[in-house]
Amino acid sequence: MSELKICHLYPEVLNLYGDRGNICCLQKRLEWRGIDVQVARVGLGDQEDLSGYDLFFIGGGQDFEQEVLLEDLKSGKADAIRSAIEDGKTFLCICGGYQMLGHYYETADGVRCEFLGAVDFYTKGGSTRMIDNYAFRLGQESGGSTVVGFENHSGRTYLGKGVKPLGTILKGCGNNGEDQTEGVRYRNVFGSYSHGPILPKNPEFCDFLLKTALERKYGSFDLEPLDDGFEKQAHDSVLAHVLAGTAGKED
Amino acid sequence: MLAVGACKASRTALRLLHRGGTTTPGRLAMKMDQNILETVSRGMEIIVVTGTNGKTTTSNMIEHALSGSGRDVLANKSGANLLPGVTAEFTSNATATGKPKKHYAVIECDEGALKQVVPKIHPKVIVVTNLFRDQLDRYGEVMHTLEEIRKGIRLVPDAILCLNADDSLTASLALGVPNPVTYFGIDCPVGEQENLEISDARYCIRCGTEYVYDYHTYAHLGGFRCPKCGYRRIHPAVAVTEIERVSSSGSTVRIKFGVDEKVSWNDNGSDIGKNIDANQTSVAGQTTAPTSQNLTAGNTAETDQEVSIGLPAVYNIYNGVAAIAAYQAAGFDRNEVISSLADVHSSFGRMETFRLGEVPLQMILVKNPAGCNQALSYLSGLNEDYQAVFCLNDRTADGHDISWIWDADFEKVCRDPHMKHAFVVGDRADDMQLRLKYAGASEKTIEEMPDNSALIEKLKQSSLPVFILPNYTSMLSLRAALGTITGKQAFWKG
Repeated sequence: MSELKICHLYPEVLNLYGDRGNICCLQKRLEWRGIDVQVARVGLGDQEDLSGYDLFFIGGGQDFEQEVLLEDLKSGKADAIRSAIEDGKTFLCICGGYQMLGHYYETADGVRCEFLGAVDFYTKGGSTRMIDNYAFRLGQESGGSTVVGFENHSGRTYLGKGVKPLGTILKGCGNNGEDQTEGVRYRNVFGSYSHGPILPKNPEFCDFLLKTALERKYGSFDLEPLDDGFEKQAHDSVLAHVLAGTAGKED
Repeated sequence: MLAVGACKASRTALRLLHRGGTTTPGRLAMKMDQNILETVSRGMEIIVVTGTNGKTTTSNMIEHALSGSGRDVLANKSGANLLPGVTAEFTSNATATGKPKKHYAVIECDEGALKQVVPKIHPKVIVVTNLFRDQLDRYGEVMHTLEEIRKGIRLVPDAILCLNADDSLTASLALGVPNPVTYFGIDCPVGEQENLEISDARYCIRCGTEYVYDYHTYAHLGGFRCPKCGYRRIHPAVAVTEIERVSSSGSTVRIKFGVDEKVSWNDNGSDIGKNIDANQTSVAGQTTAPTSQNLTAGNTAETDQEVSIGLPAVYNIYNGVAAIAAYQAAGFDRNEVISSLADVHSSFGRMETFRLGEVPLQMILVKNPAGCNQALSYLSGLNEDYQAVFCLNDRTADGHDISWIWDADFEKVCRDPHMKHAFVVGDRADDMQLRLKYAGASEKTIEEMPDNSALIEKLKQSSLPVFILPNYTSMLSLRAALGTITGKQAFWKG
């Protein structure tokens, strides 16, 4: 019997905007296929060996709590996360959790906050927030499907030369509102600004992550198809509104 | 006073057209006279209620007590709580020359609009009910909302603050402002003590250390204290000491009336609490929470009393003690509000009941995870079979980001064997349907309705009681449709 071990990093701090729905989605879609799943919550102060996990999730958080987090990362988790990434483990990182993987965050006043530097990109603070429903197309190396979600960030992320964006913007701002890129893809790291949460309405992307993690563990792995009627309905209706610019409008 | 006339004429015209007409007239009046709100509220005694949850119900409780005691009270019952809506309410109740016709007002005010509204109406008391994550795409983060409220408070240093002692975020508003402060809260644990819900305030707002809780009431509310800097819950002047009875028709609680505890915190470098006014007790390196004994003037002896609140669920106990604390802080006899709480009516869409033919309906407005979890706990705690309706829109007044539905524990209802059928409706019904699926409801149990009329036709056939949980704009439209059918008054006539 196959099994996937999921590590939910900093669930007590990084839990904005329904991001825990991603854990729920990963878990259910494994259970419905009869694949064993364990979810561990690894938080501030936990000195846990991260090498036994197959899939990591890091969500978004409030600025207020960021300092507490950076302190904790320095106490050992930063190295453990970097080695798991280099080891090809699957990571889904959203918004603040995504920014955290980069080199640094530079505020509008030029103050630099050093981050993990696990993936080659950086983020700069902006004066206006990019807030709205948005949509992007995943790169072929991430499955190529269309993702709908909700972005809410003031940071502008710029990717380095050695990494690919997760996808290309169809509508909305994405990484920085300038270059049409959204998120990052490096080894098996998938970083995105998309709340929503990202996975439930985008089941193809969820399954792509699961397949990536299972294949890293078991070699080739075929995921049994599920009845995604409700998922596709939610995906398609929001996507249609986003592309037409009518999401959140009356009638 | 042309602006007053224009506002009134526009409001009458809109109501004749069967539209609520709650904000358009206000905008019109503001356009014509920038200072109109200040003029038409001059000299009035005003209580303002703000905070994430419970604004409408708390305002309603205070207004009900004041009116019941023979006072003529102005209130923005329609829930139009931004500057234009508040302006419209005051303007419509002024004479043609701009003089207020009433002396008292109870105004619920949006957290972000507080800084625009309070400097114009100079409230005697500002009640802050609580702070939860809510409509985050509008305000950013809960800390941002807190700052918005603080900005409003700073503009009216004489206003008495009436704060929730159990909420570390709300209570922190007392730090760094010169205003007199009084508190309300619950002294005893409520419900499950293992707190599985997501907390909006896990870390000390002064020093970042994780709070320790002596007990929880709900969400992040309870007996919090910071083990490092000492910031903690202040024992409030109005405190529930025991919850004696809770049912679907209301609660009976025991309340202790005393004075607000005076506490000093060592100010160890936090930027909060440094700006305490010179008039407040201030020892070198120490700040004192500015509590005021004379807010409970005439009620100084500690007494204990049984109080009935005619609305169910724990959050209405909080709304009840908030109303009592505000009432006495404003200088009224608290016995008036205590006796009127027993027969307080539900406000528009908040625990409001209807009868659709033979089918009993109850509508519970849910706008954010904390409120939604309370409503879901209420349903799953009833121990009787029911049908549930979830209505979800994503319009501006709702917040365009509906991802909060994943932070609320719909599992409580979806795994409840008494929940026999669920309907979903609204702009984002597809998202709601998906949430219910992942919360454990079988797809056969969930039915999506294309619109309110189709939903109402289905509900008429129900053999079970129906509980409807709508968010804001979906509540407005469904409430209007149900009001027409059941003969309940529209809100602006309420």
